[in-house]
Amino acid sequence: MLAEAASGRDPAQGLRAVRALRELTERLEALQVDSARRQGWSWQEIAAQLGVSRQAAHKKHARRVRGI
Amino acid sequence: MFERFSVEARQAVVAAQEEALLLHHGFIGCEHLLLGLSAGTGTPAAASLAALGLDTGTLRQRVAELAVTGDRALDAGALATLGIDLDAVRQAAEARFGRGALDRGKDWRGRPCTGGHIPFTPRAKKTLEVAAKTAAKRHDHEITTVHLLLGLLGQGDNAALLVLKEAGAGPDALRQELAKRMAV
Repeated sequence: MLAEAASGRDPAQGLRAVRALRELTERLEALQVDSARRQGWSWQEIAAQLGVSRQAAHKKHARRVRGI
Repeated sequence: MFERFSVEARQAVVAAQEEALLLHHGFIGCEHLLLGLSAGTGTPAAASLAALGLDTGTLRQRVAELAVTGDRALDAGALATLGIDLDAVRQAAEARFGRGALDRGKDWRGRPCTGGHIPFTPRAKKTLEVAAKTAAKRHDHEITTVHLLLGLLGQGDNAALLVLKEAGAGPDALRQELAKRMAV
């Protein structure tokens, strides 16, 4: 199915799927980052798991999780 | 704030959250407050709605179709084309992080809601505040379902009014029904 959606002639379906997947990914990322912070993970540790820089992880998530 | 709510009003708010969770909407909006009020059998608010032919089932259908808070709904159909079963993902997320986890509104202030709670929309919050003020102005002991419904009707454009309008009910007709059932 991934192959179908990705290689179909009309990009609309494929792009729509990408968008939906991105939105889902964002939400799962937020849940997991919040959970990690609650368990005392550092931004560095979280960033390492996500494959991004510490600064990037902090910039993206810190405001939301402030208070955890 | 909820300490000054009547039992029925509190139940309406709890029911509102339940409705939002069932619809996988990430916020409790005015439209969910309306559903919560309509579910309160025997209350003046529910009776007034019923008098205009607006039962919970009908209203719920309209709310589900409403674009307003449904806008941020995850696209199950699109995900299915990738072989992703959104229901399964949601189930797993909720088992781990509580109901509403996957759909919870992102831009609330303060601590993220956890464990099955979802935030109110600013409009819904305003409705609760207006209800409290109305009760105070009338020197009523408690904030009741009547105050809540009047609060919904009294605000400019909100999702509850939209739902009512699409169901063919005007705020004035509803106010009239409420007036019949309010203690003099």
